[in-house]
Amino acid sequence: MNKKLFFSVFICVAMSSGLYAQKMRIDTIAVAILDRMSVMIGDLSSCHVTVKSNYDVRSQHLGLVKHGDEEQLYMQGPDKLLIRSQGDRGDRNIFYNGQMLCYYSVEKNQYATIPLSAPIMEMIDTVHKLYNIDFPAADFFYPSFVDDILSESNYLIYLGMTKVDGKDCFHIAGTMADKSFQFWVSDDGLNLPIKMAIVYTSRDMNPQYEATLTDWQINPVLPGALFEFIAPPKANTIKMAKAPVKK
Amino acid sequence: MSAKIRDMKSSFHILLFLVTAFFVVALLAVPAETSAQRFSHSSAGGGGRPSAPSQNFSRPAPAPVNRPAPAVNRPSPAMSRPAPAPVENRPTINGGSYNAGNHNYNQHPVAARPPVNVHQNVNVQRNVTVHENVNVYHNHYQPPHAYVYHPYHPYYWGHNWHPVGFFAASLATDAILLSIANQQYYYDQGVYYQPSSGGYAVVAAPTGALVSFLPPGYETTSVGNDEFFYYGGTFYIDTGNGYQVVAAPVGAIVTQIPDGAVQQNINGESYLLYNNVYYQPISQDGQDAYQVVQLN
Repeated sequence: MNKKLFFSVFICVAMSSGLYAQKMRIDTIAVAILDRMSVMIGDLSSCHVTVKSNYDVRSQHLGLVKHGDEEQLYMQGPDKLLIRSQGDRGDRNIFYNGQMLCYYSVEKNQYATIPLSAPIMEMIDTVHKLYNIDFPAADFFYPSFVDDILSESNYLIYLGMTKVDGKDCFHIAGTMADKSFQFWVSDDGLNLPIKMAIVYTSRDMNPQYEATLTDWQINPVLPGALFEFIAPPKANTIKMAKAPVKK
Repeated sequence: MSAKIRDMKSSFHILLFLVTAFFVVALLAVPAETSAQRFSHSSAGGGGRPSAPSQNFSRPAPAPVNRPAPAVNRPSPAMSRPAPAPVENRPTINGGSYNAGNHNYNQHPVAARPPVNVHQNVNVQRNVTVHENVNVYHNHYQPPHAYVYHPYHPYYWGHNWHPVGFFAASLATDAILLSIANQQYYYDQGVYYQPSSGGYAVVAAPTGALVSFLPPGYETTSVGNDEFFYYGGTFYIDTGNGYQVVAAPVGAIVTQIPDGAVQQNINGESYLLYNNVYYQPISQDGQDAYQVVQLN
């Protein structure tokens, strides 16, 4: 009887330890696919992509309400960026010519400028931290994207092939402490990101963010004037409010 | 003799059970990812860029039987990517990807790390805290809160709410007596009172006051990772034992400002000053709102 009890306990402990071990999975195929994608992006000298996003905004009385934006993203290395954004948050443009960032509200005909001289990603990081401005699909453009994912992921799994808008894609999913996420990477040789989805599992009501990236143009010739902001007639200057310092 | 045979049978059963249990445990303990890890990484990128310590794979390649190949042309991590052109000749949009195929798997924070199973020689140790302080996922698509003027309409939180300065001859019987910094206050329905001229005058909420409930109509606002509750011009945090009055957190966004705010023109922009806190008019999700700012 004691032996049976001993073996039962032994089996239970072993099973639970095995299951516990399975609570972390980093799939190197997923890593390889993301690596390939990141390397491809890192080799681009310029690009254009359309980012269509929808996201949940919490309403006090209505719960989660879906909103959406469509953004045209133009980048030219090392330090030029243009974002033309339309959607529920209004028409907004962000110009960056390597020396000055300009945020322009088309509807309000207002603009704010921030003197800044840095490569694109440093600028994005700085502006995000200082002014809480987020850039569409910026995560994919971080050179440390894969390292960053790995540093926080509990799970990172390649799920298989699927189609997004008729395009064959690698489907990757993962979890972190506060969110779950999914990436779709094109299986067309270029291996560019096609879609991402995030569920914020630690936030109230688990809001979601989803973005699809279409109309990829690789190394297009972009005129320098594209990134220059010229204030329209009667445009007013506004002051960009700094984000609170996070403790 | 029969006793010996019984003992031998018993021993044999125990041995058989042990062996079976061992295999069952071994099978259960093998993680599914081992069948997924079909490639070993080699350093394929990051020329001239910072390189993480090479990962320490000592595991032999598993047999490729447990997981079907996802696609014939799935990219291989080991493919040799040509070294990127020098940045000065062909600047790339982000300077090139870091550590492709050469990731440091030891970056995971300890707190979120159960031990990786050790039944195989998968040495993907995550037991070293080299947590890069780079948050991949920002708060997506929070708009920049530029100054957007809209007129001030004093807000009233229902008939039980009263602005600072309001005089009440008497209080509800269930008003709660609070003692903060040797001062006595009465709390009722999100409003704070102090005795005055034979009655009670509404005063600003004393910082540190702890109340059990907030009336309906409060809103929540987040600053960084902190969540605040806002009602009647007062900010609270949830302590677990109740709601505690705190100073207005810079960056907090609220939709209403109570009666009693004063408009101030600063550098051509109109701010609201309420209870010594500046509120900047902004637009959030297409709706008028205010953000707590610190003006130096």
